Amino acid sequence: MDDRLIRCFFAVFPALAADGIRSASVESVEDWDSLAALRLAAVLEEEYGIQIDLPDLQELSSFEAIRHYLKKRWGVS
Amino acid sequence: MPYTWTCFDAKGGQDSVKLIDALELLKKPVSENAPALRVFLDCGFTPLHLQTFLAAHLRALLPQHRVEIKTGLFGDLAGNLERLSPSDVEVVAVVMEWQDLDPRLGIRSLGGWRSTDLPDIVESAHQRTAQLGDTIKRLSLSIPFSICPPTLPLPPLFTTRSQQGSACELQLREIVASFISPISLAPGVRVVNAQCLDELSPLGERFDVKSEVMAGFPYTLAHASIVAEILATLIQNPAPKKGLITDLDDTLWAGILGEVGVDGLTWHLDQHTHMHGLYQQLLASFASAGILIGVASKNDPALVEKAFVRKDLILPQESVFPFEIHWNRKSESVQRILEVWNVGSDSVVFIDDSTMEVAEVHTAFPEMECIVFPKSDYVAFWKLLRRLRDLFGKIVVTEEDAIRLRSLRNANVLREYSKTTPGSLDDFLQNAGAKILFTFGKQAGDARAFELINKTNQFNLNGRRFNESAWSSRLKNPETFLVTVTYEDKFGPLGKIAVLLGRAESKKILVDTWVMSCRAFSRRIEHQCLKYLFEKFKADEIVFDFEATPRNGPLQEFFKQWLDNLPAHGFFISKTSFFEKTPSLSHHVEEEAFDGNG
Repeated sequence: MDDRLIRCFFAVFPALAADGIRSASVESVEDWDSLAALRLAAVLEEEYGIQIDLPDLQELSSFEAIRHYLKKRWGVS
Repeated sequence: MPYTWTCFDAKGGQDSVKLIDALELLKKPVSENAPALRVFLDCGFTPLHLQTFLAAHLRALLPQHRVEIKTGLFGDLAGNLERLSPSDVEVVAVVMEWQDLDPRLGIRSLGGWRSTDLPDIVESAHQRTAQLGDTIKRLSLSIPFSICPPTLPLPPLFTTRSQQGSACELQLREIVASFISPISLAPGVRVVNAQCLDELSPLGERFDVKSEVMAGFPYTLAHASIVAEILATLIQNPAPKKGLITDLDDTLWAGILGEVGVDGLTWHLDQHTHMHGLYQQLLASFASAGILIGVASKNDPALVEKAFVRKDLILPQESVFPFEIHWNRKSESVQRILEVWNVGSDSVVFIDDSTMEVAEVHTAFPEMECIVFPKSDYVAFWKLLRRLRDLFGKIVVTEEDAIRLRSLRNANVLREYSKTTPGSLDDFLQNAGAKILFTFGKQAGDARAFELINKTNQFNLNGRRFNESAWSSRLKNPETFLVTVTYEDKFGPLGKIAVLLGRAESKKILVDTWVMSCRAFSRRIEHQCLKYLFEKFKADEIVFDFEATPRNGPLQEFFKQWLDNLPAHGFFISKTSFFEKTPSLSHHVEEEAFDGNG
């Protein structure tokens, strides 16, 4: 799963260094604004064929949180 | 892009580009020196993924450009345009939705869907489209526009069930049609074809309610990608193909001429060979729009001549030139046709029912689009007709399009005459009754001048092309003069065949753009052009912003008569030298002038 998720992050945040993606979060990534969050959600929905609900979206504020969400909510392994 | 040869089959379809692929494409570096293509994307909703997709599709279509997309304020489609400065962008893409005509036609507004509100909504839509239409007409004089009329389903605000069209809904659709139809005629305006969009993006799969409510972006990703792709194609505005070479047996008609005879050939409903008739009909349509149609067929020339006498042929013989009828290789025929047409292989489509012949021609001309005629597959045939319309589609049909074939035939007569009667060009020109009209004046809407500059290769001073915006800006420059040249002789008119652009400084003329159609070669029209400039401006010398290109050899040869060698960048010709070395010119010359040249 990680490689796919890294690809999604790298597409939305091209300025992120490869070794910084796993620790990326709203706080640490300057470009992670509300538009970027919507773009990331759209990329994830398309990539994994899922629908992210609004309450969930607000919790998806880091790479690790998204990884956990995909595994727990959608069974992505 | 090199084409492989194409077999049309009933399968196919088009997938939209994924968002992640679009984002990754946009990450690829662009040269710092790449020219900027600044696009203003005007939409009333949050541009979000539409902006991403538009940038990505433009990047894919125009990889040599640095694409920059600018956007306006949310919910103010018309105001964004009114505030736009034409010098800030090269192109405008307008994506309308129903809520831009009245917010109550969207789902983010709670302004009321009462039945009593409906007449006011219709009136509001009237006013908004009128305002928008005025702004677009004004701006499109200086910036090209690509416009996408509303694509989403209307919300359920009407009093009828969804199966029944309500009067108000029909009025709204009529308002949009009445708004967009006259605008589509304006130079520089291109409108997204709803039929094309409907096929690629089904209506029921366009609207993303969640995204609209959450983010103010109403499109599904697939729909956004397809709208962006069509807009990008309109912005790119690829040059249409110039000529089509067709086979005859089992292609232009059903049947093998040598086997069934002239009367056995069919293209009719009652013989179940109607699609050959439709193919002829499309080719006749192309010919009427100035597209060249040639024939390459392994056949008996005498029989073919008889076949083309048949009155029920839908593609008449006079619409075809030349005919290459013999038993040699098809690639030889194609080569000769290209020479007569004087066009590159990448501008031509070859069609034949034989896979082997198509492969043979494609091997000889890898850049030519070579297509197998699908003689037994109706779905594939339908796709072929539409593919051909896409390849040859043009925005306007000019007067020159109507006379292209005749002037090509005449050029061929002149070529043959020169070959068989050496040294007789002076006599020929004196007897030809040649007339040249110089038109001095800048007309921004002169589609032919713009077209000539952007498609002429062989007699082209430097190969420089203009996009519509650059062309418009150039003509606005008060120092710039524009001269167009129209020619006719006793063999018929060639139409507008040359364009010169430059500026005059005291006794010196600087010419930075000069193109002339290859159909006009060997008539000394180019000599008359220089004579005209010397006399018009009372100039002592003309300086040329020349650049050698892989294809402007004929222009370089032309200048050798004054320079002894091939021209170099920035060379000049003095008046004395010009008149000393110029051969006799016997044309009848006229001039017309418009206001506007600096």
